[in-house]
Amino acid sequence: MSFEIIGISSSLIEKQAITEIERCNEFTAEFGLALSPSDAAELVETRNIALKSNGRIEFGSGAIQKIIREFCDSPYISMHNYAETIHELTEMFYYYKNETLDLMSDDDLIKFMKNSFDGKCQGSLELLSGRELANMARNLRYGYPPDYSEDPMPDEEDEDGEY
Amino acid sequence: MANIEKKHIIDSNKLSGEQYFTSILQETYSNGLLCDSDMEKIQLQCIQLLAYKCERYSGGESSSIRVEAAESIMKSNLYTIGLYLKSLPDVDFAVNEIKKSSVSEMYQKGRELINVRLRSAKHIYNLVRKNKMVTPNYSYNSTINEGIESFFKVYDPDYEAHETPASIDYQLCNTVTNLIGIEFILKYLENLFLENEFCRDFAAEDIHHLLYGYDKGYKDLLINIFEQVLTAALGCSLANRSVVKLDISAEEVQHLHYELSEYDDCSLSLRLRKAAGKVLEELNADSLPLRRYIEKSLSKIITNILHAVRMNTLDKTFISKALPDLKPRIRFLSGTKMHDEDYRKLIDELLICRHSSDKLVLIKEKVKSFGDLEDLLLDAHLSEEETALVFDILGDVEIAVLVRRHPFKTDIQALDLSEGEMALRQYLKNYIDRLPKCKQEEIFEKADRLIYE
Repeated sequence: MSFEIIGISSSLIEKQAITEIERCNEFTAEFGLALSPSDAAELVETRNIALKSNGRIEFGSGAIQKIIREFCDSPYISMHNYAETIHELTEMFYYYKNETLDLMSDDDLIKFMKNSFDGKCQGSLELLSGRELANMARNLRYGYPPDYSEDPMPDEEDEDGEY
Repeated sequence: MANIEKKHIIDSNKLSGEQYFTSILQETYSNGLLCDSDMEKIQLQCIQLLAYKCERYSGGESSSIRVEAAESIMKSNLYTIGLYLKSLPDVDFAVNEIKKSSVSEMYQKGRELINVRLRSAKHIYNLVRKNKMVTPNYSYNSTINEGIESFFKVYDPDYEAHETPASIDYQLCNTVTNLIGIEFILKYLENLFLENEFCRDFAAEDIHHLLYGYDKGYKDLLINIFEQVLTAALGCSLANRSVVKLDISAEEVQHLHYELSEYDDCSLSLRLRKAAGKVLEELNADSLPLRRYIEKSLSKIITNILHAVRMNTLDKTFISKALPDLKPRIRFLSGTKMHDEDYRKLIDELLICRHSSDKLVLIKEKVKSFGDLEDLLLDAHLSEEETALVFDILGDVEIAVLVRRHPFKTDIQALDLSEGEMALRQYLKNYIDRLPKCKQEEIFEKADRLIYE
């Protein structure tokens, strides 16, 4: 009899997670977003890979549902990039859970991701991961507030007031 | 169920004390007492319990946790269940309980039991602190004062029940094995209490002298005091000496060696056990746990003695007491040196001074510290007669310090020394040689007792 945590992969738990993700379609429909059963299964697979590569373990549907609920009203997400974006956000989420040393709760981290994605990053997943989340994780590790910045943000407008 | 209780299929010796629950499951499964579906059910319940505990661990703020943390929580859960199963009358009861109760029920009972054990451990710890020996042994004192205390501050029965966060350097005569977590600490404290109980029948001073005879630096050694005391007590009993005093001479040990060499292993062992009985009788040790503990310790000590008898090293096993050097020490402070500028002026004056008497007056007047005087003897190019006159105005302690700091060396040994240093050592030797024998002895004796800073 084995109690190896990493080996735990109950099909029952996975099925439950897929059903919960599919159920999210009920409230994402008003934003014109929906995931097919195969999308949901792939998302669970992505989550499993992300958990494994980041040395983490999760019970239930976990964070994917929360990510979908938070991001479904983003102006930068439409049906054509919906599944792909959720995949990337899921990977990012678990990576930065470790990078922030679990100092941030799931809800706060997802909120931070959403605000940055819609705000400073203007829908860029690269900027979100490589700049905003990286800076935030570093700040937390060194004991600063998540949005701390040593250099004041340069004014985005030039002297003539043009972009 | 009734059949299980009657059969006693599971051999309790095969079960691990550290991972009791897992090992009992393995044994039960291999003996066919649990089927695959039972095992799956237990496994699933364990995962459900883990999920619940992980949620509590993260305070509901995180749906995922690190695998290491989850593994630790799983180990803690299994340990807690194992602790409960161990508390049941026998293995058959434990198997019955596994079949009958859910994992979370067993966990809850185990968790309550940990609280009970924790309270017992704290109580015994207080008793140990009360019956603690007076000894300079560092590992003994630090383990009792700080090492175990840290356990009660850090131990986390909810998520790390299987860990033993204590700094335990002091080794017991009967090492605690096959136990972890609160069970380890409890057993360790019980054993330590019994060892202290036994040692308290002897005067702390006698134990100190005995261990001093074992090694002068015993305060820094990782030794077990109880084992040394019990061995010495056995030696005294064999030599028909008073056990309480722990006093056995080298001659008596030699005599014992001749006597014990005649025995074969079996009769020697019997003789030693009889001697142990005599020890307990003389000490009026009627506590049953203590008698059991000593009985358990005897096998190790008897093996040591048997080995020593065969190897002719009994004097290393039966230690003769040694009295530490109790002579008072002399602490010597050399005082504050004069300013460099003043010192240079003094040396210049001494160098141009023609009469020895004037030099002596100058030295008496200006030099206020031993450090300056020492420098001056090296720098002022005084003749042997003048140096002897300076020595004359010094007390015995100052001369003793000079002897310690500037011991005479032969020409070959003194090759690396400066000319001034060689001259000073030679003059000092000549001066001492001229003193009466008793005075010389007095100075050397003072030099031995000197501690200078």
